[in-house]
Amino acid sequence: MVVDPTVGLVLILAYAALLLPAAWHKVRDLPVFVATLDAYRVLPRALVPALAPLVPVIEAAVVVGLFVPAYRALAADTAAALLLLYALAMAINLVRGRVDLDCGCTGPLERRPVAAWMVYRNALLAGLVLPLSRPWNGRALDGNDFFTVAAALATIVILWLAIDRLLGDVAPRGALLKASR
Amino acid sequence: MNPLVVSNLLLWLLVVVLAVVVLALVRQVGVLHERITPVGALMLAKGLKVGELAPTLPLEALSGAAVTVGGARADGRSLLILFVSPTCPVCKVLLPVLKSSRKSESDWLDMMLASDGDLADQRAFVAEHGLDVFPYVVSTPLGLSYQVSRLPYAVILDSEGILRARGLINSREHLESLFEAKRLGVASMQDFLEGRHASTSA
Repeated sequence: MVVDPTVGLVLILAYAALLLPAAWHKVRDLPVFVATLDAYRVLPRALVPALAPLVPVIEAAVVVGLFVPAYRALAADTAAALLLLYALAMAINLVRGRVDLDCGCTGPLERRPVAAWMVYRNALLAGLVLPLSRPWNGRALDGNDFFTVAAALATIVILWLAIDRLLGDVAPRGALLKASR
Repeated sequence: MNPLVVSNLLLWLLVVVLAVVVLALVRQVGVLHERITPVGALMLAKGLKVGELAPTLPLEALSGAAVTVGGARADGRSLLILFVSPTCPVCKVLLPVLKSSRKSESDWLDMMLASDGDLADQRAFVAEHGLDVFPYVVSTPLGLSYQVSRLPYAVILDSEGILRARGLINSREHLESLFEAKRLGVASMQDFLEGRHASTSA
């Protein structure tokens, strides 16, 4: 499979928009991220303070790598592995029955417990990044392509916000409402 | 211009507009749920108001000591209850702040921690963070009586057992704003800034 540069560029920018804010949240409030990672109970506790700072560094490095053709495949595989690891960590805690565990995925001011849909979401995200590890065809981009990239990126970001809000906030409240009737 | 290109441009514009509309609708549904929920979730959703008498609950601390939360106190001191949990990352970050506040506010304020859930987890949490200086209570009724939905959450009771301040605490500033709210006799700093003084009768 050969990837068209327009599709490739949309994917790269979308993953940059996903991973850069995630890395920034972790760096800005590192003690909270250390505690979040610790609360997941999936790593030896002694290693958590040393490993936690590596996570945002990997996330940022993946973004940089996606823009560099020589490292693109490696960065895409790393991103997929990272997203699957997050999914696994959440799945393990869901199986343990720890439904009150803060997912650490909303920034420091909001709390959101881990939920099954986040596991599926991360698995889907891990799958969607994989085309970037394939070679691109050499088609030169013109003005129309850049318009397509910009419009697609805007649509993806807005739909992401809508879906996140729907599944993370509106749907649980709706379920609560249903249960209380 | 090629008709297909024109059609494509137009479609993209419409797709973006459609996405914005979907986002707006989702937010509206969220607002609606927020409005409707108190009706569905019945009486419990209200909780205590600032200025009301807190219930007196005889509880047992993790150490085995008897602790009474609420009611009038002979020594004239106030009580801060911070609701925490071993699964709450922000709580852990806040604990050193709480320890330093315990010293600086020791002239008028006692502090205790409250949590809910598995006892073994709670004991490990207390041991790991050196929380034995605080009375540590594990009690579901306590959390329910103050309607604690998010952590870390703090309430302040005065020496008469009246709720003086309450709120979600994310930082040292939030905690100190509660002390300030208690001193000024307002429900929260938001209330103070809006000029809405709480009813401090009783």
